[in-house]
Amino acid sequence: MGRQTFAWFTQPPAVGDPRLSKAAGFLERNVVALAKTLDHAARADETARRRGLLQKLDPRAKCVGIFAWILAAAATSRLAVVGTIFALAVALAVLSAVPVRTSLGRVWTGVLVFTGSIALPALFLTPGAPVCRIPLLEWNVTAPGLLAATRLVGRAETTATLAALLVLTTPWTHLLKALRTLRVPKTAVVILGMTHRYLFLLLGLARDYFEARRSRQVGRLDNAQRRHAATATAGVLLGRSLALSDEVFMAMRARGFRGEVHLLQDARFRTRDGLALAAFVAVAALGLL
Amino acid sequence: MHIPDGYLSPSTCAVMYAGAAPFWLVALRRVQAMLHARYVPLLSLFSAFSFVVMMFNLPLPGGTTGHAVGMGVAAVVLGPWGAILAISLALAIQAVLFGDGGITAYGANCFNMAVVGSLTAWAVYRLISGRSALGSPRRAVAAALGGYLAINVSALCAAVEFGIQPRWFHDANGVPLYAPYPLAVAVPAMLIGHLTFAGLAEGILSGGVVRYLQRADPALLRTTAPENATDPLQPQPAGGWRTVRPLWIALAVLMIATPLGLLAAGTAWGEWGVEDFSNPEARQHIAAASAQVAPPDAVPSGLERLASLWTAPMPDYAPAFLKSRSLGYILSAMFGVGSILLAWLAAGWAARRLRGSHNRPPSATLV
Amino acid sequence: MKEWRLLYELRDLTYRYPEVTALDSVTLDIAPGERIAVLGANGSGKSTLLRVLAGLSFPNVGSVRFDGTELTEDTLAGETFAFAFRRQVALIFQNPDVQLFNPTVFDEVAFGPLQLRWPRGEIVERVQLALRQMEIEHLKNRAPHRLSGGEKKRVSLASVLVLDPDVLLLDEPTAALDPQSQSQMIDFLAENHGAKTIITATHDLPVVGDIADRCVVFDAGRVAADGRPDAILHDEALLLRAHLLYRHRHRHASGVVHSHPHLPGPHRHD
Repeated sequence: MGRQTFAWFTQPPAVGDPRLSKAAGFLERNVVALAKTLDHAARADETARRRGLLQKLDPRAKCVGIFAWILAAAATSRLAVVGTIFALAVALAVLSAVPVRTSLGRVWTGVLVFTGSIALPALFLTPGAPVCRIPLLEWNVTAPGLLAATRLVGRAETTATLAALLVLTTPWTHLLKALRTLRVPKTAVVILGMTHRYLFLLLGLARDYFEARRSRQVGRLDNAQRRHAATATAGVLLGRSLALSDEVFMAMRARGFRGEVHLLQDARFRTRDGLALAAFVAVAALGLL
Repeated sequence: MHIPDGYLSPSTCAVMYAGAAPFWLVALRRVQAMLHARYVPLLSLFSAFSFVVMMFNLPLPGGTTGHAVGMGVAAVVLGPWGAILAISLALAIQAVLFGDGGITAYGANCFNMAVVGSLTAWAVYRLISGRSALGSPRRAVAAALGGYLAINVSALCAAVEFGIQPRWFHDANGVPLYAPYPLAVAVPAMLIGHLTFAGLAEGILSGGVVRYLQRADPALLRTTAPENATDPLQPQPAGGWRTVRPLWIALAVLMIATPLGLLAAGTAWGEWGVEDFSNPEARQHIAAASAQVAPPDAVPSGLERLASLWTAPMPDYAPAFLKSRSLGYILSAMFGVGSILLAWLAAGWAARRLRGSHNRPPSATLV
Repeated sequence: MKEWRLLYELRDLTYRYPEVTALDSVTLDIAPGERIAVLGANGSGKSTLLRVLAGLSFPNVGSVRFDGTELTEDTLAGETFAFAFRRQVALIFQNPDVQLFNPTVFDEVAFGPLQLRWPRGEIVERVQLALRQMEIEHLKNRAPHRLSGGEKKRVSLASVLVLDPDVLLLDEPTAALDPQSQSQMIDFLAENHGAKTIITATHDLPVVGDIADRCVVFDAGRVAADGRPDAILHDEALLLRAHLLYRHRHRHASGVVHSHPHLPGPHRHD
């Protein structure tokens, strides 16, 4: 299975894409892919710092509330409930200054292409009464097949929209703070924070390695050379990551780190956060009734 | 391979979280004990590395490209416990920040890729590389095979999770609520895609990185090589046995119980027989769902014989799908591996009991 | 009457990496309040020396004492001494990406005080103070990967100054900075910081006169010279031997010794 939702578009275009012909080379495609990932994260962070409804909420209320909706959309057997949650999510996106057509549109097309292609055969393969017949191919679309495929796509679209809504309205550091107070182990939160922080460093390094290789590249690489270039870059990056981890450990120790992490907790949960959380949970509960 | 939200029922997701949780706990405890404070930056940097490597386009034979998960590299460099944590963390960032893989399905994705994948990659790597020198080509081959098999075993897990959805989660009219394909379709569709593309990508990455490290930085391979049994990241069989044993027992029981559970629950199966495989129309759909690779039209003869091990003792009232060969060989393999595991555990336990009663130091018996 | 105490005493200290010997029988005394420039070419052992002084690396042979206590894994394993030592001695790494490992600038500056278990209220107050001191209050909620090189250096400084250390160890503090940030850094080091001991590893000769009262020259892991900056900086033969000076071979400056403190000029090479 491939990748889906918004990561779909951080991936480089597929082979044969006119924008990047094969001759343009696989090194470029890796440079583009890594740059796009960096860009995607930067854009999410930018939206998360806009002024909007969800941006004003405490990240804990948002995390729990959106998770409740994801659960409701996943647990219900009624399509109408999935549809309602989807509509509410879009409404919240509009109120939170999330660019619906670009940011969410990307998510939707990504899911449609990925989950859609998986759900498609179910239209014909699920046994049941035929609804219509595809001309020429002579395949029957069955009623249960149609229902099963719609359920899969509907659920995938709705849950992906909700997950995107959370990241697009919450800066990563706020998410980490929320996790701290939601009883996720401190160590896990610290490691997640450091992973995210060094992700950008390593993405940048990897892009530079590919770029450097490309600048020295004359002519086309054959397939084996490409493989070699990719795995050697991964190897260089691995060595660099481990060396960095040693140095970071020293830097942590120099400032008193002894294996146990201590964090500041700023727990300010206001009335409006409580109300918002209650509203989220009430909608989810209604959907499951 | 990254299962999105909405494909698995919430109860399946809960079970998968529960399945991954003990591995996280044991892995964390072991990594902490072995590395002391150092594990915090090491896991952070390695998870970041895994994430970046998941973004790479790896050229495959034939001109296409694929993406790897990186469990092979992680298992070879960190050992299985470090790999479980590093891959889980990378998957968490992928799921939350990039929407790649679901949030409710995070437990399942971790179980398939981080837990089962890392353990498989490490076991295969250790088994094949044996005591060969750090620079030996055998190590690169072992890593490549480890990665290749790991991703396929992960895919099989995912396929089984998909495949049980229509059986257990459907509405009153029998229409599936989640992933709509039964095991007979999900398993071959997933495996065909992974035996070819995704598996190769993982194999190429693991083998290629090991080959690179052999030339540039062989010290990084020492951690999981047997010459260095006291190395911090490597599991130490003697002292660590107690914490790992419950995991192996759980795994063995699960492997044995799954086919039996299907047998017990399977009386109403079968709207979609395995005849789909010989039906050209259905085969075409399966092919479309599995990256345009046609499913095999016949089960290889060796597997057929293996499958008969499973189908032969099946009572007559067993549902038809359980007698199918394609499913049968997978289930019998699971059953077999689970039984071997249990037998091995029992033998180990008995051996220790025997040795323990003879060699116990006198002081211990006195106290 | 209390006699004059030494802050650091290094005796025949040797530190070996698997392939190279970074420090080779180094004997060195450092008194409180000294401002020392540790000079040496790349690979001369400067960074290792700073790590030894910071209690991060421990010698294979010989010993290092801080305020009378020998620095070993064991002495630093005890919480009381470790906390006191970590508060007093601060190291600024050359690479700010190593130094800044927290998600935000605020978290970064608060990291040290949190690990040393200061009371919450005091931490917030001290962090604000340190941010103000380095003029980076506006960067408080930024992620470190979104800072410029100069900003990263200032956050690094804030992250250790928040502990009000007595000893400041700096590894190549002016490396990879633009001219403006470089001169801000030199101004900071040249300021009067009371009784703080400041030890700066560098190969940037023209700044030495401003930031140090004493120079220790390292060459291949050994102390090649130890003395007042003006004496060391005029010893051309010594500086050439330690690879801190070089003669240009190209036409702009053939025969002219460059990187000399009295010939600063805009074309400094470092």
